[in-house]
Parts: sequence; C-alpha cells; structure tokens
Amino acid sequence: MPQIITIDPITRIEGHLSVKVETTNGVVTAAYAAGESFRGFEAILMGRHPLDAQQITQRICGVCPVEHAISSVLAQDQAYGVTPPTQGLLVRNLAQAANFIQSHIVHFYTLSAIDFIDITAVLQYQGRDAALNYLKAWVQSEISSNNYYPAAPFLPRFDGDYLADLALNLGAIRNYLRALEIRSEASKFCAMFAGKLPHVASLVPGGATPRLTARQIQDALVLIRKIRDFIDTAYVPDVIAVAGGFPQYFTYGRGPANYLSYGVFNENGDGTSKLFPSGVMLNGTLSNLDQSQIREYLGRSWFSSASGMHPYQGETTPDTTKPDAYSWLKAPRYGTNVMQVGPLARVLVSYLRGTNAAINTLVPWLLAQTGRTVADLNSVMGRHATRALECKIIADRCDDWVNALVPGATAFSTFTIPSSAAGMGLTEAARGALGHWMQLTGGLVSRYQCVVPTTWNASPRDELGQPGAMEQSLVGTPIASDTSPIEAVRVVRSFDPCLSCAVH
Amino acid sequence: MNDLDPNPVPSSEGMDRREFLRIGTRLAALWGLGQGMVPSMARGVEWLANGRAPVLWLEGGNCSGCSVSLLNSYPLLPLSLLTKHISLQFHQTISTATGQLAQDVVNTTIQRGGYILVVEGAVPVAIPTACTFGGEPFKDHLLRCAGPAVAVVAVGACASFGGIPAAGANPTGAVDAITFLQDNGISKPFIRIPGCPPHPDWMIGTLVHVIKFGVPPLDSYLRPTKFFGARIHDQCQYRNMPYATKFGDVGCMLGLGCKGPTTRGDCVARGYNGGNYSCLHSLGPCIGCTGPDFGKQQMYNWPPIL
Repeated sequence: MPQIITIDPITRIEGHLSVKVETTNGVVTAAYAAGESFRGFEAILMGRHPLDAQQITQRICGVCPVEHAISSVLAQDQAYGVTPPTQGLLVRNLAQAANFIQSHIVHFYTLSAIDFIDITAVLQYQGRDAALNYLKAWVQSEISSNNYYPAAPFLPRFDGDYLADLALNLGAIRNYLRALEIRSEASKFCAMFAGKLPHVASLVPGGATPRLTARQIQDALVLIRKIRDFIDTAYVPDVIAVAGGFPQYFTYGRGPANYLSYGVFNENGDGTSKLFPSGVMLNGTLSNLDQSQIREYLGRSWFSSASGMHPYQGETTPDTTKPDAYSWLKAPRYGTNVMQVGPLARVLVSYLRGTNAAINTLVPWLLAQTGRTVADLNSVMGRHATRALECKIIADRCDDWVNALVPGATAFSTFTIPSSAAGMGLTEAARGALGHWMQLTGGLVSRYQCVVPTTWNASPRDELGQPGAMEQSLVGTPIASDTSPIEAVRVVRSFDPCLSCAVH
Repeated sequence: MNDLDPNPVPSSEGMDRREFLRIGTRLAALWGLGQGMVPSMARGVEWLANGRAPVLWLEGGNCSGCSVSLLNSYPLLPLSLLTKHISLQFHQTISTATGQLAQDVVNTTIQRGGYILVVEGAVPVAIPTACTFGGEPFKDHLLRCAGPAVAVVAVGACASFGGIPAAGANPTGAVDAITFLQDNGISKPFIRIPGCPPHPDWMIGTLVHVIKFGVPPLDSYLRPTKFFGARIHDQCQYRNMPYATKFGDVGCMLGLGCKGPTTRGDCVARGYNGGNYSCLHSLGPCIGCTGPDFGKQQMYNWPPIL
C-alpha cells in the first residue's frame, strides 16, 4: 500500500492550494493538486460595463494584477477595433515588465529560497555587515525569549537538507533582505506608469492614461538601473549558486515536455513582434500558436458546466457535490495536451525561435555555468534559472523602453464600444500564458472567461485521466520524511503557483 | 529610513529603547499626535516587538493584494515590520511553516489566545468549501480564530465590505468578515481598513494604535477617521480644471466616472509605493475602493457623461 502525505495548506505561494502525494518506498508515485478557493469572477462580470472588466479582473490576483489588466484591455482593443499609440504600448510594456520583475524577485527570495538556504546560518555570522548583524541579534533575542514560536514567520520550518556552505548561506540571506527592498522598488517603478501597485489605475482600452513629464521619465531611468544592478549582482548569481548546491534538482520536478507561450512585450506598433515570441512546443517540436486549440476540461473539477469547451463557449457553474471532483481548478489543454507555461516555456520557445539576441546568448551561458543540457531545464532548478534569466532580459529592455518615451505625449487612442462584439486578450503573466475571452451583448459583458497560468500548471486530472503538469512533475520525487516533505514543496514552488489566479 | 540600518543593534534582552523612541516618534507623527504621546507609542512598539501582542493573519476569499501592499511599506520597510513591529505568528503567504506544521502553528496560537486577528478576504457563506484552510471551511476557521482574539482588524475591500467577491451575482454568497462575525454573535473591538489595496500606513498605523491605545476613533463604517476622514476630491490637483473629455486628458475626471467626490481616504495626499503615486496621479479616475459600494457600482463612464 502506498503511503499518503497531505500538504495542506501549501504556504509561501499565492492563494489556497493543497497537495496530496502517494509514495512507495519513499518515492512519489502519484500526486493530486487541489485548488481550495473559488470566488466566481466570471459570473461577477456578467452584465457589467466592459470597461469595469479591466479593474475587476485585476482583483483576481494581487500579485499579477497588471497582467490581468493587460489581458482585459487587449480583449477590449480587439472588440472595439482600436490600436494604441506607441507611447501607450510603451507604458503598457513598462507597467507589465515592472510587475514581472517584482513578482520574480518575490518568488525566488521571499517564497522559495528559504526552502534551500539555511536561514539559521545567520547565527554563525562573525563579520561586520550591518544587516546580517541586525538579523543575527534579532534571531538570538527571539530564541532567548519566551515566544512560543520564536522568529516567526521565518521559523518553524520543515527539517531538510538545507545548504551547508556557510558563506553561500550568508550571502543569500543578505540578498534576501535586499530583495525585500528591491521588490518594493520594482513596485514603485510600476506605480510611475500605472498610479499604484497592486491594482493599477492607468491601463485602459486604446492605450493608457498617463502624460509623463521629462522628470518622471528621468526618475524611472534612475530606478530601473538600481533594479538591474540587483538582478545582475544578486538574483542571477544566487540562483546559479543555489543550483550548484542542489544538482539533483535538475532531475526532480520533470513535467510534460510540452510548452505554451502566447508571447509578450510589444516590440512594434502592430503587436506582431514580441520580446518573447508566441509558440507551442509539443515533445520538442515547435509550431505556431493556434488559440482555437484551447479547451478547458472539467471532469475532476467542482463545476457542472459543459466540459471540453473553448473559452468563447465556456461557462463556470459551481457544483460542490460532483462525484470524483477534487479541485476548484479547471483543466486547460491544448487540444488534449497537458502544457507547461511560465518562464521555462517562454525561454525555451524564444530559444528555439532564435529571435531574441539576449536569449541566444544567455541560455548557452546558463547551460555552461551549470553543466546542463536544454532538456535538464525541465526541472525544479531549470524553472528557477530561466525565471532569473528572463527577469534580467526584461529589466535590461526596460531601459530602452523608458528611453523611447516622449515627454508629454498622449498614450491613448479613443474608441467607441459596439453593442455586440467579441475580443480576446492573449498575453503572458509572470507565471505564464494568460488569456481573457470577452463577449458583449447590448454593450454589456455577456460572457467572460479567463484561462490563467496556474490553471494550466496546477490543473487536476482531465477526462482522459491525464494528471496536470505539476501533478506529473511530482511523480518520481524522493521524499525523505513523511512529516517534512520538503522535496515535494520545492517541486510545487518551482512553478510559482498562483491559486487566486488559477481559480478566480 | 534605511531598513537595513543596524543601529542600535538589539540586545538579547530586547531591542534598544532609542529605537523604540525613534519609531514611536514616527508613528506619533503618522497619527498626528503630539510629542507627549511619543513615549506611549514607543511602549506600544516595544510590546509588539517582544511578542506580547502577536498578530495572526488570515486569508479568506482574497487575492493577497493587501499582503503585497503591506510589503510595500516605506516609512517602515518590511524587515523592520516583521522583526520590530509585529510578532507575526502566521501568515499564509510569508510563513516558512507549511502543511501540517502550518496547521500546528495556527492551532497553538489559537490555544494561547490574546492576539490581534487580521482578516484579509471575504467569507464565502453560501458555498463554505469555496475557501478552506487545512480542510476546514474558512467560515468555521475564522470563527475559531476570532474567539480568543483581543481585536479583529479587517484589511482590504473584501474583508471590510465584501469587495469584488460580493459584487454582481455574488456566486459564493460572500460576506465581509466583520458582518459575518457579528451575525455569528462575536463581540470584539472591530476595525475596518478598506481600500483595494489598503495603503500600508493604514494597516501598520492602525495595528500599533490598537496595541497602545486600543481602538482608534472610527467613523460610522468602523474606519479609522485619521486615514479615512479626507475626501479624495479635496486632495485632487485636477479638481478645479476643465473636465477631461477622454482618458489621458489633464483635467477633472468626474465625467469619466471618478468617485473622488464621494470617496474618503488620504491616499492621494499620502501617496502609494513610497512616492507621489496614486490613481489620480496617473490620470486614472478614482474607483471608490475605500467605500462600502466598491465593486457594486459602475466604475467608468464611456462615453464620458459631461
């Protein structure tokens, strides 16, 4: 009989997720990922003024609001037949890029790194770094206090094979502290173009609202260079260092070798050229995206709506009594294929297309640094490493986009809302391929469906019995301790799960 | 302020009193209190730092945006917040504890009691399994956590007024956290800190006030008057300008649907993200996110109504 380990809740992700794994002789043989929260955004949007969709869908997720706003305004651009001016596309790029950067930095340091680095190593620190000495003194005072859980929320934690190298731990802890500040700075970079973050104000169909001054543009340039410095001197080197300490995690977490990217970041006015191009990889073969292949299956999901529908026909009717259902996530498939989405998918698709000079250079550099092959990137460490590389590429490109802004220029093209229309907005969120499909009747929303990155990655089984990408990637993972299944949560967190997005 | 400033370094007995005074001064200024209140504020901070007033943070039907906003705190950067200002027993997005260990931490905290309960997110009452923690429906979990709490602070639009989950068809029967607790016979000091998301100063400033002075002065919606007294419109640099006739026009955005005249909060004057940033600053109309009708009323007018 297999051993069953239930991990509920999985913390240090966004939202409510539980994972159940079956192990035999200490190795995972089956996994079940369950989304544990449903709010019903697609029903909430029915009958609304379509412009409100841009604001309402942002509230799907406080970590990825900008990307939902972008998806929604892209769907509306298409429905209204409006093309934003260049300045509007630049403002959209910069707001979305800023959110990628803050999200990636939060994900590695705040959410994931403390599964690998040993935060208690700070007690052994003997140097003169002010921040590390502060943290050391705080942990010491907590341990000597009568607090029931000293040093919460950083302790308690699972027992596990944390990094043993003291210098590496201390360097990573120092950067963990810096990352808290830099992620706020990246959020500020977004606010410069979007009013505030989370939940931005400036993105509308037809472009964006701000009239940027020369001073604001200069401020943005100064700030992005500070952020780029952190990515180059801390984030990328730390990921490479952690990868060096955990080589086995280039073999754990292997998912289906199918990747999907919708493409993101406009490089020209008509949206045909993207920094990260769109594409579909099925078992190593690259083809062009055909969005009509997208289906959402509901066989094991808490919904009574018809299964296997394209998002233009899909519905979302909850049914908590459904036999055999175990998750609030739907199961999106490309045709019937289980796909991985996210930085790994974007980087691999871009690398195969060969259109991005930075990717063409940095992927071979990463493989040389880690002594790995492209196939090894389909793993826990491959996901972390491609996320870091992508973060660098985006931040570097922001510099050019800021320089292309014109002080005082309008970022908006006007539009009229037709009574009946349809539009889809396909973009990429930090966590992967994001699409909104909207239909209008009588000038109001009559159908709105969102297919979201973590819905792809953390989906439950479908009617064919195929487990989702995260479920598949857990199989084969050795678990040393049933009470501290740290290996499993490392696999789960490598996907950067966002459950509020996934169910919405 | 540099968050990584090490001075003064805390001793094993606790942190340096000068540090508490320094923070107390800043918080007193934040609340518009006189210098005479600084020592009291400093003791409040010390109480928090020594873990005698722990905070338990729950996430219900939410988006985590309030938590993300908390991390955007600028006068008190995140490390200071977590090591000096709140003894954060558990937070689903930040805590290292996961799985059964996370449940153990929460259960022990409940047994020991005496914490401030912070609630982020709405309560899905009609579909209880539409949000669960460790297999327990969130509504039951919230009731269990609220009992031993000394005060309950609802952060964000959803926990305060239902927010977007309670808008439109309200498919899960979502209710704000405070109405839900009151309906279930829970009587505590209750505070609402709405906003989508709330400004970090609103959350931190209120928490410290609760610890040192108890519940701050509140308006009829249980919002701290210090933060929610001012009208958005009165802080708007565009209020006396000609009406904007489309997005991106520099002018009063009332015709585009701006809720500034009927919405309260000091966000425009205070600024989000550590600077001169707000919806209005970016020429985005106010969508009324601190009010009880947020999400239920139409946000934009297009074409503009002039």
